[in-house]
Amino acid sequence: MIAALPRLHAVTDDRVVAEGGLAVRAERLAAVAGGELAVHLRSRALEGGAFLRLAREVREAIAPHGSWLVLNDRADVARAAGARAVVSGRAGLASADVRRAAPGLAVGRSVHDAGEARAAAAEGADFLVAGAVYATASHPGAAPAGPGLVRDAAAAGLPVLAIGGVTVERTAEVLAAGASGVAAIRALWDAADPAAAARAFLAALGPRGTLAVTVNGEPGEVPPGATLAALLARLGLDPRAVVVEHNRRIVRREGLAAAALADGDAVEIVHFVGGG
Amino acid sequence: MAFQDTPLVIGGRSFASRLLVGTGKYADNPTMLRAIAASGAEVVTVAVRRVSLDRTQEEGILHHLDPKQVFLLANTAGCYTAEDAVRYARLAREAGFNEFIKLEVIGDQETLLPDTAGLLEAAKTLIAEGFKVMAYTNEDLITALRLQDLGCVAVMPLASPIGSGLGLLNPYHVRIIKKRLTVPVIVDAGVGTASDACLTMEQGVDGILMNTAIAAAQDPVAMGHAMRLAVEAGRAAYLAGRMPRREIAVPSSPTTGMLS
Repeated sequence: MIAALPRLHAVTDDRVVAEGGLAVRAERLAAVAGGELAVHLRSRALEGGAFLRLAREVREAIAPHGSWLVLNDRADVARAAGARAVVSGRAGLASADVRRAAPGLAVGRSVHDAGEARAAAAEGADFLVAGAVYATASHPGAAPAGPGLVRDAAAAGLPVLAIGGVTVERTAEVLAAGASGVAAIRALWDAADPAAAARAFLAALGPRGTLAVTVNGEPGEVPPGATLAALLARLGLDPRAVVVEHNRRIVRREGLAAAALADGDAVEIVHFVGGG
Repeated sequence: MAFQDTPLVIGGRSFASRLLVGTGKYADNPTMLRAIAASGAEVVTVAVRRVSLDRTQEEGILHHLDPKQVFLLANTAGCYTAEDAVRYARLAREAGFNEFIKLEVIGDQETLLPDTAGLLEAAKTLIAEGFKVMAYTNEDLITALRLQDLGCVAVMPLASPIGSGLGLLNPYHVRIIKKRLTVPVIVDAGVGTASDACLTMEQGVDGILMNTAIAAAQDPVAMGHAMRLAVEAGRAAYLAGRMPRREIAVPSSPTTGMLS
């Protein structure tokens, strides 16, 4: 279960990091986008110690605004720095290993096609980062997959962030394809006025379409039209192994697929544990 | 012919073993399974709790226990109001194994003694909904009678507080409850070691439910075995009928035919 995944993801790379002043620059974005912003810290160049120092610095700058710090692959650094999520790629840590290393953090997975998206959902990821959707300077040689990739990834049932050449102008197109949010490097960090760019992205993203629900006492969100069956699938739970209570009414197994969630709903999911 | 006991019949279900065991507090699941096997128990209690959404915690116990091999008895442990106990019981029944519930309504955090008013209220509601209620209560005859009158399929007075291992503190009251009730009386909680179990069964009760005595023993598998023997021994001794107590010795060997 992930609490309200931000929809605007400002992704960094070694180039952005090397420009310096990252905490200050991130804080400007956070001041605009608050809980809708996640700053992804990525570096191939920095060793663990320097990476952790930078991660802490960024987290301290953006957390007061409600923004998330997200790290790539380094679950150990993510945990130490107080990040909210870890994203790993094809060659990175498996979701289960990220959870072991960093319990309680959301787990994202970079995916490049429908098969990878399904595999990520099956191994228990919380959200997907799908790209490259459009041509991007970050991966000059790569052929863009187009918005169809977002559609394919969304079919796996997890929230999808579209990445790769995503701009304010293209945001509507990826949302229409089923994206929950957008991730960008240049469109944010390289903008003449990054704060204005963030504001423009938020306008393009529009109001949150998701429903706020409480599951086992934890705040979370689901897409509109989500059912209890979809919620269980997203949590990786087998409906035969649990009992579900929806607003204090038990929903039988056969009724889960028809039980639609509404904003503000409370769901309890229980099972048997050892007891006397 | 060797000694043979009658089965323990609770709410229409028949069990050969008079020892019922819990599944909490074990260091690991393989030890739990071996301890249950050594105890010979057929009825095994489980609790209802939230699943862990971040999957950092242990999976459900049914990944380890086979409901075809044991009779699952869900409890309402941890509930402090009749309303909560009823809610947990309904969730437990929805898991789809049976309509039995070990009903606990706790009244106090330090002693975990039952809230008998809440217990009676919850029992009434659950029985009306078709539950077969096995009620954890204190060693009070009047509450026990009322639980029976409401339709509980078993009344379960404590030997001493849950997890205390203090043994049978009030044999007289437990004996009186057994004498006056017609439904099975299962002593639930407080047994610490095999002699406690044996002494409890010698009061004539129909069975014992225990968890911590086995799970928290240095060797739970050996203690499971010991409890099985103790429950069987105490039961057989009760059925055998003990000799009268005397204040003075009576020789076992003939007093005649002695050498002069």
